[in-house]
Amino acid sequence: MLPFLRRRVLSSVVTVLGVLVIVFFLARLTGSPASLYLPEGASQERYDQFNRQYGFDQPLWVQFLTFLKGAVQLDFGESIWQQRPALQAAVAAMGPTLELSAVALGLSIVVAVVLGSIAATHRFRAADRLITLSSLTTASIPDFWFALVGVLIFAVNLRMLPTSGDATASAWILPVLTLMLSPVGVLTQVVRGAMIESLTSGYVQNARARGFAPARLTYRHALRNAALPIISVAGDKAAGMVNGAIIVGTVFAFPGIGTLIVGAVLNRDFAVIQASVFVVGIAVVLLNIVVDLIYAIADPRVRIS
Amino acid sequence: MTRKSLIAAGLAVVVVSATACGGGGGTAGAPTGSDRPVTVAIAVEPVSLDPCDTQDATNAIVVRGNVTESLTRIDPENGTVVGLLAESWEQKDPTTWVFTLKSGVTFQDGAPFDATAAATSITRLLDPELNCQNLDQFPQTMTLTAVDATTLQVTTPEPDPILPLRISYADISSPNTPADSKTSSPIGTGPFSFVSSSQGQSIQLKRNDSYWGDAPEATAVTYLFRAEPSVRAGMARTGEASIASAIAVQDATDDDRTREYNDNRVFFLRTQTDRAPFDDIRVRQAVAYAIDKNTIVQALMERSGTPTDQIITSTVNGFVPGYTAPVFDPAKAKSLIAEAAADGVAVTTEFDLVTRPDLFPGADEVIQAIVQNLQQVGLNVKIVSLDTDAWLQLLRAPFPPDQRPTIVAISHDNVSGDASFTFPKYMASDGTNSTIRSPEIDDLLARADVAGGEERAALYQQANAFEQQEVAAMIPIASQSKLMMLAEGIEYQPNSLSGVELRIADVHFTTDN
Repeated sequence: MLPFLRRRVLSSVVTVLGVLVIVFFLARLTGSPASLYLPEGASQERYDQFNRQYGFDQPLWVQFLTFLKGAVQLDFGESIWQQRPALQAAVAAMGPTLELSAVALGLSIVVAVVLGSIAATHRFRAADRLITLSSLTTASIPDFWFALVGVLIFAVNLRMLPTSGDATASAWILPVLTLMLSPVGVLTQVVRGAMIESLTSGYVQNARARGFAPARLTYRHALRNAALPIISVAGDKAAGMVNGAIIVGTVFAFPGIGTLIVGAVLNRDFAVIQASVFVVGIAVVLLNIVVDLIYAIADPRVRIS
Repeated sequence: MTRKSLIAAGLAVVVVSATACGGGGGTAGAPTGSDRPVTVAIAVEPVSLDPCDTQDATNAIVVRGNVTESLTRIDPENGTVVGLLAESWEQKDPTTWVFTLKSGVTFQDGAPFDATAAATSITRLLDPELNCQNLDQFPQTMTLTAVDATTLQVTTPEPDPILPLRISYADISSPNTPADSKTSSPIGTGPFSFVSSSQGQSIQLKRNDSYWGDAPEATAVTYLFRAEPSVRAGMARTGEASIASAIAVQDATDDDRTREYNDNRVFFLRTQTDRAPFDDIRVRQAVAYAIDKNTIVQALMERSGTPTDQIITSTVNGFVPGYTAPVFDPAKAKSLIAEAAADGVAVTTEFDLVTRPDLFPGADEVIQAIVQNLQQVGLNVKIVSLDTDAWLQLLRAPFPPDQRPTIVAISHDNVSGDASFTFPKYMASDGTNSTIRSPEIDDLLARADVAGGEERAALYQQANAFEQQEVAAMIPIASQSKLMMLAEGIEYQPNSLSGVELRIADVHFTTDN
């Protein structure tokens, strides 16, 4: 286990550094922050002064070295936009995103397992067709569209939920539903497939012949065997939740990393863009390691070495 | 079926119980009586709350007129300069102005407002090291002297006839504001005091009970940042927000809750006069004749614009009353192009119509329609849509020497009432955004710059008319307007400054809750 962890951490460091380097140069392709922070008719002196103040007057390679040196020391610089350390802003925003993602993913797995199992046990019958059709539909609905339609229906027309924000518990419902949309759709199909395979396998047939109750058969024996593909896809979806968090941030103004990244891009705040990508990168890497570990625990045949 | 119904019922229970425990939307528990808090949904979080950064509309909307006030302000109805913290002012000599300030005013932190405090605050804004946004409104250095508690003397090296107007851009902050760094907790003399801000989430203000003027009805203000215009509109419809700023046309309703207001912004095109085919005035005039702006604006800018003939609105002193720009006449455009071609002008040169997606909502369709008009008269035009930074590089001088000929689509606002905030930039030979090299215009602008009152207005009007008739580098398309939505029971009458100064003291409650 330890050599595995060491190898994973090392390769992750390389990945995160690589991503940071790419983001550093991509961010600078978006143009100079000065043109955004200074008024349209500002004089050249004002531009020069601004660039000097934030170090943008330095050659790109000097800026890059300064950035790398800082990144190694976990110092991503000051945010021009928020006027506080960029890493502090990114870490503070990651918390709510992780909470939201955990709730959405947890609920997605529960809903998918229930629906997928029903579909698998009612194979080719009406319930299966209905669940398959609806899961394929949810998997293909664009998050952004669902989010806006959700606001229109549940907040504006029915007045059941607030449109946005995170002030009340009910404000979480629409963002969570939006984030659940694609994972539930995909996971339901994965659960269905894995369960069908598991339910038709020899040992389940054997158990059935021995008179086990159908519910116990489905949820204890078959599901345990079907867990591996579910864990693997759920892990994948968990990483993808960060993308979803950007949509959720934009539409519902949920104060997470998505909102921060969108704001940082709009405000050409390179320091915050870099720090946010770093924090997201670390989160995804950790998540992948956790998924691998769960994978090994769920199936002792998988050896991590 | 039973199982499915069970799942459906279960989901319903989860949703309803979560709603119940959350207390529903923002409408629940609103206090009764006429005095209550208001919530304003704005699109973008202010980049800075420092009173010296209110040149930017996203910053100004929260601070200006609410937390801070200036010595003078612009009357939104007619663009004239009126007193705010200053009772009166007079020009002692061409380079000296004396302002008489209100007495008995205090800042929200208890510090007294007097000439020394005003001088300190304005001097702070002028410090180049602080990099204040509003510094650009003050092209000259100023020396501020407190003659006595209520008399402030301002001197400039060169005469500045519009100094009282410029002073309106200096939001006065408390002397306790740090002099060498920006502040994120502004303190002014306004009707509301800053309470707190939560980055990425909200800004809170509360009523300033020691305010020198009429007490506002609203007891407190919460600003929420909602990027999606339909969400902002939804918030006003449900009462989650009292005011939803800058909503989209498709979210506007026909009832009296949608307010339309002109924010002195004009959408116009600027030709690159030093490149073929625009180096010939006939081609530039042909562009104006080729565009059917009335049809385009009516069809595509419904509720967001009206066709216009000048690059400034009628509240700006350089506006020429009654002037009519070339009217849509494709035959005339074709004949002008043919005439130019006969004289050897390269009228078939391909050029770019440079725009940016965020120029204004729906700009892409408007630009496409304009391009179609230009192609119909035989001009060889291509649309180039750039991000703001790349667009700015083609807008601002110096232009790249190998640059293709362009027409740049521009949306420019002038809320000051004075043409000096537009014309020198777009028409003078050394203007940052100008492609015009006209000694006549340069002369008129230079004379206007040092003139005051009627004479100044007349000179700017002459420059405007000369540009239109003899240069024709710019083609005005539409005077733009914005929409905001009010919640039920809220009354606010937007004016031409509402885009940069949303005074919560002007918000009234029409119902008790």
